[in-house]
Amino acid sequence: MAESIPVQLKKGVLELCVLAVLSKGDGYAYDIASQLAEGIDMGEGTIYPLMRRLQDEGLVATYLAESPSGPPRKYYRLTETGRASLQAQRAEWTSFARAVNAILGEG
Amino acid sequence: MTKDQFLASLRTHLTGVPLAAADDIVADYASHFDEGMAAGRREEDVAAALGDPARLARELRAQAGLKRWEEERSPSAAAGAILAILSIGAIDLLILLPVMMVVISLIFALACVAAAFTIAGIFMLLFSPFAIIGGHFIQGFLGGLAFLSGGTAMGCLSALASIGLVNFLIRYGRFHLRLIKPITA
Repeated sequence: MAESIPVQLKKGVLELCVLAVLSKGDGYAYDIASQLAEGIDMGEGTIYPLMRRLQDEGLVATYLAESPSGPPRKYYRLTETGRASLQAQRAEWTSFARAVNAILGEG
Repeated sequence: MTKDQFLASLRTHLTGVPLAAADDIVADYASHFDEGMAAGRREEDVAAALGDPARLARELRAQAGLKRWEEERSPSAAAGAILAILSIGAIDLLILLPVMMVVISLIFALACVAAAFTIAGIFMLLFSPFAIIGGHFIQGFLGGLAFLSGGTAMGCLSALASIGLVNFLIRYGRFHLRLIKPITA
């Protein structure tokens, strides 16, 4: 159980991170996965179930665009709902992190 | 694991997911391999970084099951969603099972009483003109009507309770799908 806590934390914030990456510009899954895999140590494969869920929930939309090499890539962009969700989640995360840091600082 | 092995395993474990969605999922992972290899990574390394295809497929299947339940509220969609959620281990069967047995038997009992009332009501209505039960046939007729509506009401109640139960299970599963059982490499 000891290691499951960081793992759960990571999965909880993965959605927030993906939304944040997409808010800086549209992206394709491989690119998003490699950006996140560097910072957060997670299986790259996790990105696809997450992207499908975000798409089902209407937070992201997809379109195909040419790639310099090979077949067209599937790009994801943030919808208005996605933008609103990012804002709400970012606020929640910030206040949560501040509270945790304050408690850790006291110890 | 090679690209082909990974994709084949993923495809095998995606049984039950609608074909179009499964094709889409496999295509996503195939293009992930192509991107990785174009960036100079080895097939095996990409596969290792992706994680276990069986576990990924379980999560995708659970998600597809939940989506289907939201689109069509049918008993088979409910069963599919619950099975898929169980398969990712989001619901601890050992804890859940005793509770479920009690709730399900309560709902079942209610449904049985509802059926008995309905049948009794129908008989009373049918036989009321012959004044077999009670004195006046109006008495039998009204009594039958009362039993019938009581039975119907209880039947509706037990149906509502079943739908509520399935919804509860699915909400529980969805919550866990977000938070636990992540797929790490």
